Amino acid sequence: MSNILNIFKKEIRDILRDKKSLTMMFIIPFMIPLIIIGISYLFEYQMNLGIETYNKIGVTFKLSDREEEIAKKNEINFVYGNEKELKKKYNHEEIYAYLSKEGNKYTIYYNNQKDKSSLAANLINKYLEDYKINLQKETLENNNINSQEVLNIIEIETVNFQKENFLANYIIGYTFIFIITAITTAAIYPATDSTAGEKERGTLETLLTFPIKSKDIILGKYLAIVSSSFIAGLVSLIISLISLIICQNITSIYETTNLIISGKNIFIIIFIIFMYALFISGLAIAVASRCKTFKEAQSALTPLTFIAMFPNIIIFTMQVKCTPILAITPFINYNLIIIDLVSGNINYIYVILMFVSTIIYISFIINYIIKQYQSEKILFIN
Amino acid sequence: MIEVKNLQKVFERTNENNVEEKFLALDNINFKAKSNEIIGILGPNGAGKTTLLRIIAGIMKPSKGTININNLTYQTAEIKIKKGIAFLSGNTKLYKNISAYELLKMCGEFYNVPKEKLKNRIEKIVKVLNMQTFLNNRIGNLSTGQAQKVNIARCLVADPKIYILDEATNGLDIISSQIILNFIKAEKKRHKCILYSTHYMEEAENICDRVILINKGKIIASGSPKDIKLQTKTSNLRDAFFSLLGGVDNE
Repeated sequence: MSNILNIFKKEIRDILRDKKSLTMMFIIPFMIPLIIIGISYLFEYQMNLGIETYNKIGVTFKLSDREEEIAKKNEINFVYGNEKELKKKYNHEEIYAYLSKEGNKYTIYYNNQKDKSSLAANLINKYLEDYKINLQKETLENNNINSQEVLNIIEIETVNFQKENFLANYIIGYTFIFIITAITTAAIYPATDSTAGEKERGTLETLLTFPIKSKDIILGKYLAIVSSSFIAGLVSLIISLISLIICQNITSIYETTNLIISGKNIFIIIFIIFMYALFISGLAIAVASRCKTFKEAQSALTPLTFIAMFPNIIIFTMQVKCTPILAITPFINYNLIIIDLVSGNINYIYVILMFVSTIIYISFIINYIIKQYQSEKILFIN
Repeated sequence: MIEVKNLQKVFERTNENNVEEKFLALDNINFKAKSNEIIGILGPNGAGKTTLLRIIAGIMKPSKGTININNLTYQTAEIKIKKGIAFLSGNTKLYKNISAYELLKMCGEFYNVPKEKLKNRIEKIVKVLNMQTFLNNRIGNLSTGQAQKVNIARCLVADPKIYILDEATNGLDIISSQIILNFIKAEKKRHKCILYSTHYMEEAENICDRVILINKGKIIASGSPKDIKLQTKTSNLRDAFFSLLGGVDNE
């Protein structure tokens, strides 16, 4: 036990004295507030776009007085021109959409990838709807039919069950993906340095001549890397929560979102962060210790960052919910459970499944690394 | 103290044609070493000296044969054996981010030296090796000679019974080499057993009580430098070595 502690102390000292290790440990945590505040502001800007910023709309035909009146009511500034001229104006962003007419058929030209163009298209749709009702009303009244009775023959009321704030939830979901990425990055660099790096520098041979069991060397290194990644996870969590609370006060997109997470939920999130730190640290050491040089280990571990990040982005974008199988699927189970927890749908069976499966994975991984260190191949891999 | 019996080491490697091939690095190595003795392991580069010492130090496993150290084997008492051994090679690298003092303290802790004893031992070693001026400097900032002193000091901290020194003077200047040679002589006086490999025959002739000449993984002669010279009717170990080989061309 004392030698596990001695190796742990040595590794922690190495991490704390190595500027690169410290940078990798804190680079993502300190980027999180910039990302959260930046995205929050961007979403708010899009939500609060004034009509005057997108109401310049092209039209290829002469509007009647009635059409002009409806356009005025809808605050549309129509710009006249032929299709070619309007296309040019659209490309120069002088107008955001344009409308053409052939008989009774109206065509709206816009780009749904552009926010202002989409908003302009919505405005045209609203204008055409108003114009259509106006024409229907006139026709009905000319035929002595009560237009109110016909047009409002049924009454529609829409109740939206979606009480959650989509934009806020989107940002919160991504925040946890960043936390997972921060933990991964904080594990990878020290794992590379303390295994392949130590081998390359020649200090591993020195270490193996000391009266220390291979198991103690691995456990000491493992605990130091777990500590590094867990601290990065905790710092990321604290910074994220502070950033979200600041954004709640300075932007309007979090108005209906409750950012106060209960003590119990904070504890569960910290527990999940710890479990992920245990898992990713073991995996990073297992991969890096097979490599001969620091550079080789870096190349081998780079995919791990992507594996940690992209499946989580996909499941979040597809709004996948946790299932028993997903709860034991490494990399994604941690994030899925946190998202369930934050949205108030936590299933404790999944937490238990995640815990048990992680312990099983770690046992296999640590066993594998110890076997590697017990073999002389760890030093003389050629 | 050390008994090496029928030691054999075979390396497996993949050649450029992706074919697995075996390479006999050591074959039928037998010798004994006792306390108060400096044994020179001599031979050209690639003879198998480093492999032999690595196996005795417990960082490599033999393919065949046994090593007994104070009647213990690595299979049953690895940690106990390693507590009595200090390994120093020309390639031994030290942690650059820590100070010389931190390294000595760490090594002492690895050998479970009690705190107070460790403190006194470090003080004594620092005085003997004249390390006061750079004791608290980071190892990465030390000169080669200073780093070598730290290396010797970290071996002394453990106060082992056996020193395994593999080409410890290789590449060092005359002053740094002398530090190592003085250290070896001083430790012999303290009744330590020292295995010392080198390809500098003159150096070995001066300090070794016995030498073991190795070539291509096999012992070609062993005995005191005087006996070997007598046996080969030569005036120095270098000539004795070539005489045993039957000339430079055979080597």
